Amino acid sequence: MAENSDAQWYKDAIIYQLHVRTFHDSSGDGIGDFPGVTQKLDYLKDLGVNAIWLLPFFPSPLRDDGYDIADYTSVHPNYGTLADFQALLAAAHERGIRIIIEMVLNHTSDQHPWFQEARSSRDNPKRDWYVWSDSDLRYRGVRIIFLDTEISNWAWDPISKSYYWHRFFSHQPDLNYDNPAVLEAMWGIMKFWLSTGVDGFRLDAAPYLIEREGTSCENLPETHAIIRELRNRLDREYPGRMLLAEANQWPADVSAYFGQSDEFHMAFHFPLMPRMFMAVRLEDRKPIIEILEQTPQIPESCQWCIFLRNHDELTLEMVTDVERDYMYDEYAKDKTMRLNLGIRRRLAPMMENDRRRIELLNCLLMSMPGTPIIYYGDEIGMGDNVYLGDRNGVRTPMQWSGGWNAGFSIADPERLYSPLISNPLYGYQAINVESQKRSQHSLLSWMKRIIQVRKSSRVFGRGSIEFLRPSNHRVLAYIRQLGEEKILIVNNLSNSAQAVELDLRNHKGSIPIEMWSRNLFPRVGELPYLLTMGPYESFWFRLRRI
Amino acid sequence: MPEDVLLDDDFLRQLMNVGEVDILVGVPSHNNAKTIARTMEAIESSFQRNFWRERGVIVNVDAGSRDGTAQLAMEAHAAPRDGERGLNSLRTVHRIATHHGNGAFPGAAFRTIMAAADLARAKACAIISPDSGNVTSESVANLLHPIHRDGFDFVAPLYRRSRFDGLLARNVLYPFYRAAFGYGIRELHSGEFGFSGRLAAVCLAEDGGRDALRAWPEGWIATSAVSSQMRCCQAFLGARPPAPAVSGTDVVAAIRGAIDGLFCLLESRQSLWMPRTTAEPVQALGPDHDIAPDSPRINRKRILDMFRSGVSELRPVLQSILAPQTLAEIERLAPEADPQFRFPDEVWVKSLYELAGSYHRSVISRDHMIQAFVPLYRGRIYSFLLRHQESSAEEIEADSESLCLAFERLKPYLLDRWTAKS
Amino acid sequence: MKDMIVQGLAQSYQQVVRTFAELLPRLAVMVIIIIIGFVIALLLKRIFRWILSLTKLDRLSEQSGASHALRSAALPSTTEFLSRVLFWIVWVGFILLGISALGIAQWQEQISHIFQLLPQILIAILILFVGLLAANFFSRAVLLASVNAGFRSPRLWSACVRFVIWILAISMALEQIGLARRTVTTAFSIVFGALMLALAIAFGLGGKELARQTLERYLGDKRREREKEEEPSPL
Repeated sequence: MAENSDAQWYKDAIIYQLHVRTFHDSSGDGIGDFPGVTQKLDYLKDLGVNAIWLLPFFPSPLRDDGYDIADYTSVHPNYGTLADFQALLAAAHERGIRIIIEMVLNHTSDQHPWFQEARSSRDNPKRDWYVWSDSDLRYRGVRIIFLDTEISNWAWDPISKSYYWHRFFSHQPDLNYDNPAVLEAMWGIMKFWLSTGVDGFRLDAAPYLIEREGTSCENLPETHAIIRELRNRLDREYPGRMLLAEANQWPADVSAYFGQSDEFHMAFHFPLMPRMFMAVRLEDRKPIIEILEQTPQIPESCQWCIFLRNHDELTLEMVTDVERDYMYDEYAKDKTMRLNLGIRRRLAPMMENDRRRIELLNCLLMSMPGTPIIYYGDEIGMGDNVYLGDRNGVRTPMQWSGGWNAGFSIADPERLYSPLISNPLYGYQAINVESQKRSQHSLLSWMKRIIQVRKSSRVFGRGSIEFLRPSNHRVLAYIRQLGEEKILIVNNLSNSAQAVELDLRNHKGSIPIEMWSRNLFPRVGELPYLLTMGPYESFWFRLRRI
Repeated sequence: MPEDVLLDDDFLRQLMNVGEVDILVGVPSHNNAKTIARTMEAIESSFQRNFWRERGVIVNVDAGSRDGTAQLAMEAHAAPRDGERGLNSLRTVHRIATHHGNGAFPGAAFRTIMAAADLARAKACAIISPDSGNVTSESVANLLHPIHRDGFDFVAPLYRRSRFDGLLARNVLYPFYRAAFGYGIRELHSGEFGFSGRLAAVCLAEDGGRDALRAWPEGWIATSAVSSQMRCCQAFLGARPPAPAVSGTDVVAAIRGAIDGLFCLLESRQSLWMPRTTAEPVQALGPDHDIAPDSPRINRKRILDMFRSGVSELRPVLQSILAPQTLAEIERLAPEADPQFRFPDEVWVKSLYELAGSYHRSVISRDHMIQAFVPLYRGRIYSFLLRHQESSAEEIEADSESLCLAFERLKPYLLDRWTAKS
Repeated sequence: MKDMIVQGLAQSYQQVVRTFAELLPRLAVMVIIIIIGFVIALLLKRIFRWILSLTKLDRLSEQSGASHALRSAALPSTTEFLSRVLFWIVWVGFILLGISALGIAQWQEQISHIFQLLPQILIAILILFVGLLAANFFSRAVLLASVNAGFRSPRLWSACVRFVIWILAISMALEQIGLARRTVTTAFSIVFGALMLALAIAFGLGGKELARQTLERYLGDKRREREKEEEPSPL
């Protein structure tokens, strides 16, 4: 790797999240594939991202968007071959882009040979690889995650005449990590992919590996032990690779997954995301400050992963009831926009296509402590289609141009895996990469610039954060600091002009240099530093002592 | 601070930082160190429980307390609700404070609060008194909801009181106000009420009447509301703990403030009340004449003695205030024996109307007139205590209603006395 | 003898005639001065009445009860009373001026003496008047306060205050005209003592609250209980 050769590369990364199926179709069958992604790597390099997180691409009955894996060591034929994947990996590394793939530890598809064997008879050697029970009353009180589709965490298997445990869909039986053979098998799979050269895994559903009676069956110490074991092996055999935890939990619970730098390298900060949306809608910084103040310190080598939108619904599990009601009322008035405990919409439509708010949210994302993730299409402000079932509304084909099938595929439009967005506001004729590349003022060009600015300093990925608390609560201001380098970020969360007085006495004598233009601002003195800000404006200043 | 400037620069700066709000609650304070923290907490928790989406601000206007009230007001914070991981409201609940120098004049504080409400474009506002001692998040919400949700402009409180509490309101203020202005608002003296931003703007725009606003802010504001055809209602706030029994000088001070306020209001709003001939009820949300079971221990004999000695000793003063017939009737009442003692409604109403007329014409010092009236009030109260020792809420209410009707029936007499030349 | 008588008579006649001739223009001057004085005094009275009506003195004296006192003494309203006093003082001044214009030496001395006293008399009357106002107001205030506080014999307190203020006012007025200076000084010491007493009473009334608190602190809870039982709070 030319760029970011140090072991903590993930701290400075800007991750682009995409699904092979949705990105670009090179074969003309209406479904995106690996060669398609490879062809578009230059676009991603131009955008400035330096890591790609690929959603599951394994053989699967595709009943949960690929998270129901039927074969862990192969690729789904729709997306190409293993060789195509390896070509993508090589081309990406050539451009300094790392690849993170999915690793679904917790469960398999019910079509996986292991499960087929396990259910075939009660004394099959694979029987103990899953969690079985004669009664559906074990582990009572454990919450059901997919409330809209599941009524129990147990499902009846008519073949072996017993119940199996599943935290997600009933076609996704949970693996039994109390059986050491399961761990060995999964490590074998991870080794397989590590040896092809992938740079990291996103471990899906990390908190649910182990079940114990009388507990919530989440975040158990035994689960942590398994993760420590995997990390230990990874560090020993494949140093410089990364583990990213998907644990939709409160920060205090998630931070346990960093361990003593001996579990995950990174973990998603789920509660922060809805609060960024909330803060902008409320025009009040309180939700953001409150949640970041509740976020514990994490070990030096660890990092939060932050995001605005992803392939799932905008999850509202990690908010209070009043906050959830508010989010629903403000961002998903139409009930079809809601799914489980969340909102299945993309960034731009949620912001009513208001460029200023889209930019403000991206400014927050890029300046908060953590590694940002950009969901494919959000860099051009793609829309969604809430009338497609499940979360498919935010998984429509990438809009490359205003031409045939938005430049995604040369197949007949009817053959596409999903209809394109075609409404006049968000449709591919209006919003596409091609046209935005032509304009210096497009959202895409702006995204390129902000990524550039972010990459100009390591403070964003590695520095500390200290909130300033001006009396104007509509202004969120903080100082990011790494060593002597200090960056002051001031965001106006409201849709009206605001004056704010910042107490910068600790930085007396510094000159604020606006980071986008490098314009100089008056030197900081003893008096409160007065700034006037336009609606949804964000200022980034490097504080320099000259 | 110059006389014509309501808000000082520092307070304006705080207001600017708060910006536009939906809900504003004002808390005037003066040496309330004991209760202020609880009051502020109750308001904040009302914001969290009932108005968590609304932008809210609590404004403390302190009248130069010396017991650290102002500081306590800014420091007290409501405990977060349980089980919510300490995340309890969506928004920043603002707390800002200012002070005004002139002692315990609540009117000045009210004006400041109204000006703040106007500048912050608040939609629903309330004034909560730390004196009342039983502010809960529900009572704050009960004051605000009618304005915020139902579009009322003025909300007077209603309480469940102990039977011998609020006797001046029951015997003078409520019936007098109802007869004069034609609106039956029961509680206009508790230091608590709700008002809309619209009403605040109207009150601030009204010139004159500063004396009346200073003397009886609630009366002034309620009257502004009814005179601008705004919607008024009364909302039940729960039980009000009985006011502790007081000594003679406190009684005089309280009566002086209340009666002075009433008469000032009559003077500044003559065009409004003089032509009015009918009275209409004001909608009550919740029970409007509940009585708490407990009664304070009262030294009744002393009250009667003071009535008697007042009537005999103050004869020359009373002569210049009351009509000779009325005075004669009162003098006839005084020596009556204990169980038969009654202060009839008609004599009571007449003596009040005569007092109002004399007050208007300033036949002697106005303060002296009100002081001379206190013994008569004691006589009336004694009669009330005697009669309603065992009465039910309904009986007391019926009695109160008949007093109101007497006030209304005799209103021409009030007009007559008010306009008399000498 | 006859001649002497005739001569004497003629002489005295001539003298009378001469004196009368001398006096006649002075007399005329006196009459003119008195008439002009009357006009000026009348004018001044009108102006003064007008000024007083602007200052709303009537209302003040009405409130303090001085008007009542004046009425009971069969005197007109305060404004009218004061302007009449002014009228008379001015006119009497002019009359005296006119008499002195006659040039009668013994009279002149007396008159100039009276003239020196004139402003003092005016001030003395004013002092008496203010004293009347104050005595009425404060005696009534004390009466009301002591009735409402439930003191015994409130009229006595009230009369004491009225008496003390009267004594003070009268002695100050006398002092002003310069009469009976010695009496005044002795009277003053008495009055000063009385005044202190009055102040003590006034302080006692005003500081009752403070005293009560202080006493409560020393006498403990039992007494506090009894005090609080007194009356229901009106609000």
